[in-house]
Amino acid sequence: MGELVNDAQSFYNVRAVDKTNPEHDLDAIIAKYRPIVSFRVKKSLGSYMPDWEDVVNEIMLNAIEKLESGKFRGDSSVGTFIYTITSRRIIDHIRKKSKSLKYAPEPTAYPQPHEHVENKERAEMVARHLERLKPKYKEILYLYYYKELSRDEVAQKLGISPRRVSERVNYAQKLLKKMMKK
Amino acid sequence: MTECKFADLIDEYLLNKLSEEKRAQFEEHYFNCPSCFQTMTERDEMITAIKWRGPQIFADIMETEQTRKAAVWDRFFGFMTPKHWALAAVGAALVLLVTFSVIPSLRTQSPQFYLDDHQTRGQSITLISDAIPSRFQWQAVADAWEYKIQIDNHNPLWNETTSDNFIILPDEVKNKMLPGVDYSYQVKAFSKEGTLIAESSKIQFTIPKK
Repeated sequence: MGELVNDAQSFYNVRAVDKTNPEHDLDAIIAKYRPIVSFRVKKSLGSYMPDWEDVVNEIMLNAIEKLESGKFRGDSSVGTFIYTITSRRIIDHIRKKSKSLKYAPEPTAYPQPHEHVENKERAEMVARHLERLKPKYKEILYLYYYKELSRDEVAQKLGISPRRVSERVNYAQKLLKKMMKK
Repeated sequence: MTECKFADLIDEYLLNKLSEEKRAQFEEHYFNCPSCFQTMTERDEMITAIKWRGPQIFADIMETEQTRKAAVWDRFFGFMTPKHWALAAVGAALVLLVTFSVIPSLRTQSPQFYLDDHQTRGQSITLISDAIPSRFQWQAVADAWEYKIQIDNHNPLWNETTSDNFIILPDEVKNKMLPGVDYSYQVKAFSKEGTLIAESSKIQFTIPKK
């Protein structure tokens, strides 16, 4: 199912409704929304759930079928349409799991990046780069993300404005992005 | 480039700090906003690494924090000898003693409960007399300076104040009371300062027909 994005046309036998309209190009829709749906499903179910990818595939299939059969009338954006299908499917999945399992799946706050070796390696690389940031950025990231203090609490602790906290976090993110590209 | 107004919600969303309503709004938003989704996935990658490898990434900060905490502890308590600790323990014991001996006695001077229509809060008075009475009696309440007794037959009929824990019903009141009619009486206790400190429940009684 990992080839879904690249080989969507043959997998689902989908045809574009209107190739000239990028909003109606089913290939483009799959390519654009699959990562978003995957993110949303993993966030809700927890990426440790082995069947999260099946849920994503079902959602995409359902969305494509509805788009093809003309059930999507364009009352909302395609994004909102797929968001609604995703939310409903997640709720159904949790209900089904609650019946068959003693405990319903509960997403952890931050699951460890274990599901793919490449994710783990990438997380290792991000961690190494973060270690090399200047202390003023590391301190902000430590308080804000690791200790989960609020923006105001971090600002008070460091004697800077809350706006400055956001600026430093964004700048640290930019630095990290730059380091990752090297 | 103007930043999307939802961009501020990214961190709170990833850290599960948004209310249910805001979370749903933001989720619908990022299905429609490539810029927010892109920023969010980058941020998520960073937070995942931070949560997973925090002790390694922030080892220096954590060490400094520990040292600072230890220094603060030393500054506050480092100078104390065993003699100082013993004095501190005696002081703490005295504070506890004062707290538990003085505070309960102060309580009786302040209003202990309030009344609304028929509800009673706080301690109650136990009434001793129960038949049709010439003499009403109740259990004395510690700290009560005076008691007020009231007799009603749906409307107030008579009331009197006394410092004893009983009262004799005057003949003129008795003569007003009719056989077969429902009456009730209630006693309230007041402190020296005039604060209501206790009250009985309302006891109903009927004067038997001759």
